[in-house]
Amino acid sequence: MKTRIDSVEDITRNFAEQGYICSDQIALAIYLAAQLHKPVLVEGPPGVGKTELAKAAAAFLEAPLIRLQCYEGLDESRALYEWKYGKQLLYTQLLRDKLGGMLADTDSLEASMSRLGDLGEAFYSETFLEPRPLLQALRSEEPAVLLIDEIDKADQEFEAFLLELLSDFQISIPEMGTVKARHQPLVLLTSNDQRELSDALKRRCLHLYIPYPEASHEAAIVAARVPELEAELREQLVAFIQYLREQEMKKLPAISETLDWARALVLLHADSLDQAMVADTLNLVLKTEQDVTLARELLPAWLRKFGKR
Amino acid sequence: MLSRRLSEFVQALRGAGLRVSPDEAAIAMQAVALVGYDSRQRFHDALAVSLVKEEQHRAAFETTFERYFEGHPQGQQEQEGDAAGAEAGSSGMPPALDSADGDGLEGSPGEQEGAELNALLSSSAEQLQQRMAEAAAGMDFTRMEVMTQQGLYTRRLLMNMGMGAVDDRVLQLAQGSAADEARADSLREWRSQVREQAASLVRRQFLLHGAAKGRELREQTMRQVAFRDLREFNEVKTLVRRMARRLASAHQRRLKVAKRGQLDARRTLGRSIRHDGVPVSLVWRRKPPHKSRVMVICDVSSSVSDAARFLLQFLYALNDVLPRVRSFAFASQFDEISDDFQRYPPDVAVGRVLDRLSGSGTDYGAMLEDFLGRCERELDRHTTVIILGDARNNYLPERAELLGQIRRRAKQVWWLNPEARRQWNSGDAVMASYLPHCRVAHRCANLNDLERLVDSLLTSLRAD
Repeated sequence: MKTRIDSVEDITRNFAEQGYICSDQIALAIYLAAQLHKPVLVEGPPGVGKTELAKAAAAFLEAPLIRLQCYEGLDESRALYEWKYGKQLLYTQLLRDKLGGMLADTDSLEASMSRLGDLGEAFYSETFLEPRPLLQALRSEEPAVLLIDEIDKADQEFEAFLLELLSDFQISIPEMGTVKARHQPLVLLTSNDQRELSDALKRRCLHLYIPYPEASHEAAIVAARVPELEAELREQLVAFIQYLREQEMKKLPAISETLDWARALVLLHADSLDQAMVADTLNLVLKTEQDVTLARELLPAWLRKFGKR
Repeated sequence: MLSRRLSEFVQALRGAGLRVSPDEAAIAMQAVALVGYDSRQRFHDALAVSLVKEEQHRAAFETTFERYFEGHPQGQQEQEGDAAGAEAGSSGMPPALDSADGDGLEGSPGEQEGAELNALLSSSAEQLQQRMAEAAAGMDFTRMEVMTQQGLYTRRLLMNMGMGAVDDRVLQLAQGSAADEARADSLREWRSQVREQAASLVRRQFLLHGAAKGRELREQTMRQVAFRDLREFNEVKTLVRRMARRLASAHQRRLKVAKRGQLDARRTLGRSIRHDGVPVSLVWRRKPPHKSRVMVICDVSSSVSDAARFLLQFLYALNDVLPRVRSFAFASQFDEISDDFQRYPPDVAVGRVLDRLSGSGTDYGAMLEDFLGRCERELDRHTTVIILGDARNNYLPERAELLGQIRRRAKQVWWLNPEARRQWNSGDAVMASYLPHCRVAHRCANLNDLERLVDSLLTSLRAD
């Protein structure tokens, strides 16, 4: 992992080379997070590139990306570690004779017990420990980027469980004691605002809100990601998407949808947005029937106004 | 110096309603130290990233930042202060009392005051600030509570600085010759500069002390005042959201309790087969997630619509804990309004519903019949029906037996009435005939009532 980040501009530049066009605020948040060793909570509407940001950050820092996808019912054994019960069981079965031999010359129960005790933690050793993403991040040989994706989908208990990790970069495992991070990972949490996160969690994190991008910004993103698209069509497409975002849609189109659409238009060899083309491909951008219908109604007026420039 | 300024800013933020912990403030300072002050935008962003943890607080942060740093970052302000001083100096420090004052002095206030005036007028920008700070130190800004008090405090501060003498002098000069007139003008200009400085000092003090206290005071009033007067307050939306959030988090935590408990023997045995009958992983019985559903029927005729507005806002802000709310509204006609609330933010939705349905001539009997016609099939023992209305039936048949029918199919019926209990049966109000069918009937006239009611509603739902 890169240990030195020269400046915020450094990040912006590197991200741009990777094709992740970001605003100054985003770069600044990453810069501060890396310098102050603080986790960042990234919020914003779906599809604005929250997860991509973590990937870009990992590539920039030349660090492995460890990802934990949250969901309802996620618990410690999935997130942190698990004992490989099956393997433990198999080993005891296979070693049964050996154990029997070892204990053969003991005469009392106490003696057998103490001999078993001498075996020590054999059955609760690293061999049988299955590290899950959080433990991986803590024990990683080089500093890692840890992405805790969609934390709002996890239960509140899990959120509370994360607090120790986020503030001290350590975690307690009853059988093994406290595991401290070898290297402090850069932690990014994302949330789609499905539920309110606790104040305790927010307090430990820097907070970054990524809104829908402005037109010029979005055009730059499309240019970076879908360079095959002609400039004029790109402008048109971005203008239309921006216009859609101002309407009363059920689900607003995000950047990922803009990109999908741009790619589709390239495949279809479109050279300008016309009524038929848009009507055919609208469902790439809008994901509910109601929105598609609304957009179809709005389309002719929009084309008259902005379509041909 | 800077850290003091920043911690004052943090305090002003607290006054504006943000919760900033000392730890966060420390991080903000580290962040600022990292990015420096060269770029105002970056300075601002660094503070925002470390202090604003909720989008709804962003606006408050922006205004406080704007006001507190007054359009220039730290260093620049100092320079500008100097520049102003220099300027005042170069323009001959207009008011300085040179020879000319000899003649001006007749009939002027006592000699001592004249000397003080002299001192004031001839002081450099720095001395002036020093003087202002001293005067301010002698004042108690912590008693400022409302924005409009700022003018008063500014005036008081200026008086304490001895600017009263300047006022007198201006008046005096204005009546004199043309030359005096000109001097009066420049004096006036200088005075307004000083006044500007004083005003900004007071504004900062207000942000520090007054804003928080004023907010508390307003919040208390907002909670107690009747719904229809709440329109006067523009922060009511934030308050409702905050109250709802507090309730939501309180109840959410309790909803998750008792997840673990008894061993689920059947599933534990099933899983143990993989491990040769050794019960390696234990499965606990889980409480099935509660399925309670709420149906709200709101009277939106003019007399009740204010209460309806807040009840609906409250319930939809509780989306986390109450995912299944269906809402209906009626005045002259009856209709479902859940869709409006799903598509638009609550305050917009409320407006739309009122536009569509409001009117007069409520008929509770017809409403109950409509409701049963639409929803009878969906009423089950998990459903709570809440009716918000004043039960003023315009002397139409009340048809209370329909409410009885609803109650028998549903888990419970709640009636919220925005009027005081003693008016429940006055005039054309017919609460008496509906009451026997309601498990709970309460007055719901202000935010405090509403909070209490929703709290007990959530408690009763948890018992499902």
